[in-house]
Amino acid sequence: MRLLGYIFSQTFRSIWRNKLSSFLSSLTTGFALFLLGISFLVSINLGFMYEMAETQMEIQAYMDKEATQTQLASAVSQIREIPGVAEVKFVSKEDALEELKEMFKDKASVLDSLEEDNPLPPSVRIKTAGAEHIPAVVEALQAFDIVDDVMYQEEVSRRLVQIGKAVQYLSLGGMLVVGLVSVMVIANSIRLTIDARRQEIGIMKLVGATDGFVMTPFLFEGVLLGFLGSAIGTGFAVWVYNWVAMKIAEFIPFMPIVGLDPDALWQMFGIMALTGVMVGLAGSAFSVRRHLRV
Amino acid sequence: MISFRNVSKVYNGNVKALDRVSLQIDKGEFVFIVGASGAGKSTLIKMMYREETPSSGQVFVLGKDLAKMRKREVPYLRRRIGVVFQDFKLLKDKNAWENVAFALEVTGTPRREVNRRVTQVLNMVGLLDRRNAFPNELSGGEQQRIAIARALVRNPDILLADEPSGNLDPETAMEIFAILERVNLYGTTVVVATHAHDIVDNLRKRVVELRDGAIVRDERRGAYHY
Ligand SMILES: Nc1ncnc2c1ncn2[C@@H]1O[C@H](COP(=O)(O)OP(=O)(O)O)[C@@H](O)[C@H]1O
Ligand SMILES: [Mg+2]
Repeated sequence: MRLLGYIFSQTFRSIWRNKLSSFLSSLTTGFALFLLGISFLVSINLGFMYEMAETQMEIQAYMDKEATQTQLASAVSQIREIPGVAEVKFVSKEDALEELKEMFKDKASVLDSLEEDNPLPPSVRIKTAGAEHIPAVVEALQAFDIVDDVMYQEEVSRRLVQIGKAVQYLSLGGMLVVGLVSVMVIANSIRLTIDARRQEIGIMKLVGATDGFVMTPFLFEGVLLGFLGSAIGTGFAVWVYNWVAMKIAEFIPFMPIVGLDPDALWQMFGIMALTGVMVGLAGSAFSVRRHLRV
Repeated sequence: MISFRNVSKVYNGNVKALDRVSLQIDKGEFVFIVGASGAGKSTLIKMMYREETPSSGQVFVLGKDLAKMRKREVPYLRRRIGVVFQDFKLLKDKNAWENVAFALEVTGTPRREVNRRVTQVLNMVGLLDRRNAFPNELSGGEQQRIAIARALVRNPDILLADEPSGNLDPETAMEIFAILERVNLYGTTVVVATHAHDIVDNLRKRVVELRDGAIVRDERRGAYHY
């Protein structure tokens, strides 16, 4: 118990004494962990997108804008007959505009001008009995003269997943580089502490303190700096994520973004804190080995 | 208690600090190590608490072969040996009491025990009433007495002193040696490297003289010079 008190008081004293260096260490670690956090958040979203792609495999067939009601009606009944089709829903030009207005809600007035000359095409939304039917159904749809364009969720999802993966790799790569830098910055901060307490360390060894006892406050200091970094990194990552999610919701309303519930936040903070602590431990262990000669 | 067998120490491959030293110090002895500057006195003392290891030969202290001792055993050896230096080595930001208590705290001694031992040992060096003073508020002699208190607080089997009066005037030096003699009376083995010839001549203890790293004299009740 007294040992714990000793370690804590030593650590806070030296963090305070080397304020600037401690702050820089935590900040650098925070930045590395921010990148890790972004990668984590992207991976949550990727998982969500895969799930979406699995459950909502909806095909959208955009119809010729000039098509008449009868042509459309006959096309819809023909589509129902395609093998593997489970559900068919017709969306008229007017329905499409309504949906768009619904998405933009309060900003709907900007869409008023579309009222007179609605540019949206009528479409048909098709659900298949299973993912395996999609390619055949898409091919059958493309054979219709009246069908202008066929889009299906899988395609969209795949693109998003590709972008997401790229972001994830980039941030993980950045995280590795910045992580190494943090290890070195923390090591330097610990070296300052060791230098400031060199005489004290010498006396501790002289009077028979064990190497473990001499080392522990320094290792703890590194761990604490790493942990502080993880708090900074998590905070920053969540802030940036929410900001980006808000912007995306504003401009690409149909893009699925996972909201952060407390569980996900804690899970993320857990991963970040563990990484931060390990980065801190690595940095201080490096410095202790190098400068304490224990 | 302390036994050197044919010990040599070579620094950096060419400086020969100790040259085939054989020496036996028994429990309860008081031994002066004398010799000119650079004769190897400090090196000899450092080997006794395993600050240095021999280049060849064997050093036994408290029944342990120090050359073979593993690094993690060293702290436990040092808990049984007190060491005092010319420059006191007190921590400036701790007061007298805290400097002494520090030696017990860093080995996890319970607070009650710390209080008891520190009181006792400060009383013994006559500085209990100065316990709240910081090193810069103490005279050189007082600082050395605090350093001695720190070395003794664990009740060591051996007390080593490397020129303990090197920074002190003769009168203060006398006080310091009086304390060392008293410590020895209580049964602690005391080894002192010193230049203070008046005191060596007066106390008539065992004298070991080094010259260029070799023992040239070892007298039961010796003086500083022949
Ligand atoms: N760490 C060291 N590295 C190199 N040479 C040293 C070292 N310590 C002592 N010496 C040399 O060893 C010799 C003995 O030194 P020392 O034991 O300090 O003598 P004394 O204490 O009698 O003055 C001297 O020549 C000194 O220069
Ligand atoms: Mg010397």
